[in-house]
Amino acid sequence: MTSLVLNKAGIYTLLMITTLLIGLTEFGLSGKPGALLLTLLFWSTIAQGCIALVAVCELVNARWMASLRRELLSLYPLLLLLPLLFLLLWPQLDLYPWTKHPNLWLNKPFFMTRNLALLLAVFFAGRHLARRSMAKQPAGPAAVIYLLLFVASQSLVAFDWFMSLVWPWISTLLGAYFFTEGLYGAAAVSGLLMLLYFKQKHAENGLPVTIHLRDIGLLMFGFSVLWGGLFFAQFLLLWYGNLPEEVGFILDLVSSSPGRELAWLFPLTLFLAPFLLLLAAPVKQNRHMVAGVAGVVLAGLFIERLCLVLPTVPMHGGVLLFYNLLLFALALVILHSSVHATSQID
Amino acid sequence: MNNNIPVPQVETDVLAAMSRPGYAWLTGFGLAGLLFVGALALWAYQIQHGMGVAGIMHPVGWGVYIANFVFWVGIAHSGTLISAVLYIFRARFRTSFNRSAEAMTIFALMVAGLFPLIHLGRVWRFYYLFPYPNQRQLWVNFRSPLVWDVFAVSTYFMVSLVFFYVGLMPDLAIVARHRGGWAGRLYRVLSLGWSGSLREWRHYDRLYMFLAAFATPLVASVHSIVSWDFAVSIIPGWHTTIFAPYFVAGAIFSGTAMVLTLVIPMRRVLHLEHLISIDHIESIAKILLLTSLIVGFSYIVEHGMAFYGNNLFEMEQFRFRAMGHYSLLFWIMITCNAILPLLLFVQRLRRNLIFLFVLGLLVNVGMWLERFVIVVCSLARDFDPYNWGNYSPSLVEIGITVGSFGLFFAAFLVFVKTLPVLSITELKER
Amino acid sequence: MPRHLFFDTPEAFLQELRAQLAAGVPRRRLQAHLPFHLHEAEALLIGRPSRLRYFAMIGALLGFGGGFLLAMLTSLDWPIITGGKPIVSVPPFLLIGYLMTILIGSLSSFIGFLWLARLPSAKTLVTDRPFDSRFVLAIDDEDAS
Repeated sequence: MTSLVLNKAGIYTLLMITTLLIGLTEFGLSGKPGALLLTLLFWSTIAQGCIALVAVCELVNARWMASLRRELLSLYPLLLLLPLLFLLLWPQLDLYPWTKHPNLWLNKPFFMTRNLALLLAVFFAGRHLARRSMAKQPAGPAAVIYLLLFVASQSLVAFDWFMSLVWPWISTLLGAYFFTEGLYGAAAVSGLLMLLYFKQKHAENGLPVTIHLRDIGLLMFGFSVLWGGLFFAQFLLLWYGNLPEEVGFILDLVSSSPGRELAWLFPLTLFLAPFLLLLAAPVKQNRHMVAGVAGVVLAGLFIERLCLVLPTVPMHGGVLLFYNLLLFALALVILHSSVHATSQID
Repeated sequence: MNNNIPVPQVETDVLAAMSRPGYAWLTGFGLAGLLFVGALALWAYQIQHGMGVAGIMHPVGWGVYIANFVFWVGIAHSGTLISAVLYIFRARFRTSFNRSAEAMTIFALMVAGLFPLIHLGRVWRFYYLFPYPNQRQLWVNFRSPLVWDVFAVSTYFMVSLVFFYVGLMPDLAIVARHRGGWAGRLYRVLSLGWSGSLREWRHYDRLYMFLAAFATPLVASVHSIVSWDFAVSIIPGWHTTIFAPYFVAGAIFSGTAMVLTLVIPMRRVLHLEHLISIDHIESIAKILLLTSLIVGFSYIVEHGMAFYGNNLFEMEQFRFRAMGHYSLLFWIMITCNAILPLLLFVQRLRRNLIFLFVLGLLVNVGMWLERFVIVVCSLARDFDPYNWGNYSPSLVEIGITVGSFGLFFAAFLVFVKTLPVLSITELKER
Repeated sequence: MPRHLFFDTPEAFLQELRAQLAAGVPRRRLQAHLPFHLHEAEALLIGRPSRLRYFAMIGALLGFGGGFLLAMLTSLDWPIITGGKPIVSVPPFLLIGYLMTILIGSLSSFIGFLWLARLPSAKTLVTDRPFDSRFVLAIDDEDAS
C-alpha cells in the first residue's frame, strides 16, 4: 500500500488528472450535462460538510471528534476539486432557463464569479482550519470563518446550482436544508471512517473509542430527526399552499416512473431507516451496523440530489457512475495518503 | 435533626436567596402585580364592551395579541433549550441557568396561553378548541394549524411542567431538611418523600434523560407549529418554507436574551456571583450570537427570495416592510436583532455584564417588533389594493401587553423566593 | 438494626462499597443513600438497567397511534371537506400524532418512574428521615433469612 501514499504535490497532481479526465469525458463523450451537475451537487455537500463538522466540534469541544479529527480533516484537498469541476460547468450554463432572460442576480458572469469565489474561499478557509487543527493550535476563529463561508457556499449551491434550474420554483429553506445535509453527510462519513479505523483507534486509545462510536450513532440519529423536520417543514407548506408555481416541479418529478419511486425512497433512507435502526442501543455499539446505516444515509443523499435534477436535466447513467467512482477512489487515496503520512511523522 | 453535620456550602448559599423578601423585592412585586391587575381590568373592559375596543379591524384582524402570543411562546423556548438540549450535549454551563430558565418557560407559556383567549373575544367559549364529544356532534378541524397550536402549546406546557418538577424533587427535599414547621412539611410532601436511595436515583437518572430526549424535538416543533399558523396560508410574506426554523431560532434568540435580562440582576441581588460564573454567561452569549446569525441569515434569504422569483405580491410586501408605513419598526428590528448582536464577536463584550444586560433588553425589543412586523405588515398589504389598510394598537391592547410583562415578572419574583433558583443537586455534582 | 456509615466524598463511599462487596457481603444487605446519582454505585449494587425505558417506549407508541387515530376518526365522523384537503389528511394528522407521542411518552415515563421508585413514599413522609447531604451506606449485619 505504501506505493499509494502520495505527498501534497502528488495529491494536487491527482486532483488535476481527475479534473482532466472528467473534462475529457464531459466534452468528448457524454454530451449530456446532468452527470457533472449531479456529481457536483452531491460531492460539494459531502466535502464541505466533513470539514464543517470538524469546525463545529472544534467550537463546542465535542469529545468524540478526537477519534476522527485527523481523518476528516485530511479530506480538505477535495475542496479544491469543487471549483475546478465547477469551471467545467461554464460552457454548459445554457441548461439554466434564466440564461435566455438574464437579470441582475441571474446572469452568467455574476453566477460564475460568485460561486467560484466562494468555492475558492471555502477551500482556503478549510485548508487554514485543517492546518491549525492538525497542529493542535487554537482553531476557534478559523472554524468560525470556515463555517460562515460554508453556510454561504452551500446556500448558493442550493439556490444557484439547483433552484435556479427550476425557476420560479422557490423554497427559502433550501439553503439551510443543504448545509444541514452537509453536516448529516459528514456524520455518515464519520460512521464509515469508524469502520475503517476502529481497530487502529482502539489499539491506540482503548475504551473511549467505543463511546465515540456510540456518539456518532447518536449524532446520526439526531440528524435524521432534524432532517425529517426540515423536509416536513417544506413538504407541508407546499402541500398546503398547492400553488401551481410551487407544486409544478414536484408534479413533474413524481408523475413519471423513476422519479416517483425515488421520491419515496429518499425520505425512507434519510429519515425512517436511520431513525428506527439507531433507536436500538445495540445498533449504536456495533461498528458494522453504524457503518451500514451511514451507507444508507449517503445513498439517500445521493438519491435525493438525483431527484432534484431528474425532471429537468438529461444525464448519462454510465458517465454518472464513472464520475462518482472516480471521486470516491480519489477520496480514499487522499485519506490513505494523509493518514499514513501523519502517522509516520507521529 | 442532628446539628453537628456540616451543611454543604452550596446549600446555604442557594437557600440564602430564599430568605425573607426585602423592600426591593416587595416594590418590584407590587409594581409587577399592579401592571397585571391593570391588564385584568382592561380585559374585563374588553369583554364587557366587545372587541371593538381593540385596534384590530378589517383588514388587519391579527394585531398585538397574536404578536404577543408568538413572542411569549418564543421566550419559553430557551428554557427547554438550556435544560434539555444542553443536558443531552453534556454542556456543563447549563447548571448555572437551567432552573431559572425552566421557570421562565413555565411562566412565559402561562402568559402566552392567555393571549389566544384574550384574542378570542367570547372567552367563555374557549373549550370549543378541544376535541370532546358534544351535543353538536362536531369535532375540531385537525387540518387547521390553529388546532395544532392548541395541541402544541398544551403539550409543551405539560412536558415543561413535568420536567421542571422532576428537576426540583431532590432540591425540594433539601429545602425540607432546612425548614422546620409547616413549611418544611409542605416541601417534604412536595418532594414526594424523596430520600435519595439508590433505587430512586437510578430511575430518576433515566427519567431525566428521557424527558430531555422528549423535550428536545419538542423545542424545535412548537415554534415551528406557531410559524405554520402563518405559513400554511398563501399570504405574501407568510407563505415561505424557511418560517419554521427561522421562528425556532428567533424563539431561542429572544429567550436567551430574556435569560440574560433575568439572570444578570438575579445573580447580583441574590449574591450568586461565585455559583454563576462569567464563563457560563459567556457561553450563553455565544448562543445569543449564534441564533442572531441564524435570524440574520433568514432575513437575508427571505428578502432576497422575494425579489428572486416572479411573484409581484411578495416583492411589494417586502418593499412595504422596509419602506412603507411600518419601516421605522422594521429598521429597529433589523438593528436590534441582526446588527447589534454582531458585537458579541468581541470577547471583551461577551464578558461585560452591563453590555449583555442592555443587549438582552434591546434584543427583546427587536424580537417583539419582529413579531409585530410579521403579523401586521402581511395583513396590511395583501393581494388587492382595495383591501389595504394600516393598523395601530389601541390603548387597551397596549395596556394588556404591558400587563403581560407584569404577570411574567411577578411570577418570576415569587419563584425566586419560594424555590431554589439553582439546582443544588447538580451544583454538588459539578 | 442496620449499621450506617457516612461519607463526605463519593470516592470514599465507593471505596468502602467495593471493600464491603469484596469482603463477601451480599448486595441485598447493602443500602445506599446518595446526595446525587453515582453510576458506579448502580453498577456495583444493581447491575441491570432501569426498566423505565419500556414505559417511555409504550407511552410514545400509544401516543403516536392515539393522536393519529383521534384526528382520523373524528374527521371521518363528520366528513366535511375544508380547504380543499382530503378528509384523512395525512401530513397534519402526523403532526398531531407526533405531539401526542411526546406528551404521552413523557407522562408515562413520569408515572413509570413513580411506580418503579415507589414514590410518593409514605414511609419517608411519616418517619421524618431527611434526605442526607452525605453518602450513606447502610449495612444489614443480621442475615435476613
